[in-house]
Amino acid sequence: MTGRIHHLLLPALVAGAFHGYATTYHTVESAQKACFPEGAEFAPADVKLTREQMKVIEKASGVRVRLETQRVWKVVRDGKSAGWFIVDEVLGKHEFITWALALKPDGSVQSIEVMDYRETYGYEIRNADWRKQFLGRKNGAALRLDDDIKNISGATLSCRHITDGVKRLLALHDLVLKQ
Amino acid sequence: MTWFSSSSLRRCRPLLGTFVEVSAWGDATCLDRAVDAAFSAIGRVQRLMSFHDPASELSRLNREASGAPVKVNEWTYHVLSMAREIAAASHGVFDPTVAPTLQRWGLLPSSSKPPQSSGDWRDLELLPNLQVRFARSLTLELGGIAKGFAVDCAVAALQTGGVESGLVNAGGDLRAFGPRTQSVQLRDPRLPGRLVKSFHLSNEALATSAPTYSRRESAEGMVSHLIHPATGSAHVANVSASVRAPTCMVADALTKVVLFGGLAAEPVLTRYAAEAFVLSADAMPLAA
Repeated sequence: MTGRIHHLLLPALVAGAFHGYATTYHTVESAQKACFPEGAEFAPADVKLTREQMKVIEKASGVRVRLETQRVWKVVRDGKSAGWFIVDEVLGKHEFITWALALKPDGSVQSIEVMDYRETYGYEIRNADWRKQFLGRKNGAALRLDDDIKNISGATLSCRHITDGVKRLLALHDLVLKQ
Repeated sequence: MTWFSSSSLRRCRPLLGTFVEVSAWGDATCLDRAVDAAFSAIGRVQRLMSFHDPASELSRLNREASGAPVKVNEWTYHVLSMAREIAAASHGVFDPTVAPTLQRWGLLPSSSKPPQSSGDWRDLELLPNLQVRFARSLTLELGGIAKGFAVDCAVAALQTGGVESGLVNAGGDLRAFGPRTQSVQLRDPRLPGRLVKSFHLSNEALATSAPTYSRRESAEGMVSHLIHPATGSAHVANVSASVRAPTCMVADALTKVVLFGGLAAEPVLTRYAAEAFVLSADAMPLAA
């Protein structure tokens, strides 16, 4: 009813309840297509970082490097480099996000696509074993996240971890991919 | 007749400091381009009105408009006009000039120049020909309204692009259009993973303000990004205010009017054809 303030009394919280939901926006293939809509070839070029390289990237970006192996594709169009496509994962207090960064041939950001978004509460997300359940196939997840929840309004979640991820991957590009 | 739902697309990108999700239903041939245009529109609002970007028009205003009038883009001018109008309608309960307090609390970055504002929203002068001037020194921050405007711009881009039904959600400020009814759930302000109320939206917007993620300790005690302009104190209680309105810009700004104005917000809601939902574990969470 227009003009009214409706008060909704919240029920008592039940301790230990688990809440979570997930949305998949992209497969690797569809993210590649979205980032390079003109079409291109994607040559796998995964990067395995040494301890030293991880330290250099951390120093250059000011962001912790969690993954030793980075999924990278070299993007080629008409026999020429069209940039890079990198898949990454970031971890927040409540969110676990798989995302893709597309770089232009000069190493600047072309686009960013969130591929997989999972938000969870009530469990320790920093626990490695727990986190492992999310890696790999969505169907393999032991925890059933509710992907019927389509739209949520409420406190705004920051995207700071992706912003940090961009800094980290730009440093990785400078160190390892730049030619 | 199902041609309008023949195909759908749902994309998410980090923008406006949060996650922006664009969902579109319609003719498959138009969806990709329209969704891209929607994200571009949001990117444009961010470039114009970001407080964090020294190159934005907003930053330029904050540097220069206390001296001489500054000419701005029509989008910026439109948001400033609406900000001023809602500030006036709410007698300053909504005020886009509280940035210095947020800077002091570490919730907004501070420039080398110490945060300053000797005036308030009444000192924001909107002159003819898209010129803007501050009658007294001000630091403007449009976080409480520009996100909603960005959602409106994205919706317009989807419509122009031929999308039949769509939904744009910028970190909880959202707007739906088209024949498809959208289901939206509200977060419990005490435990944001808990969803407590469902809405069905159709051709309207819903925005929510809650201190859940911005609340933190500062030298001055518990603070959040939600400031009562009259008292200068932060809203830190587990109370959220959601506003349903025809546009997301209005919904976004009015959440602050409801949180801080209490029942005095009702005439403002009426004026903008809006209604509000306040969630709390308390029977009387707002000022009378």
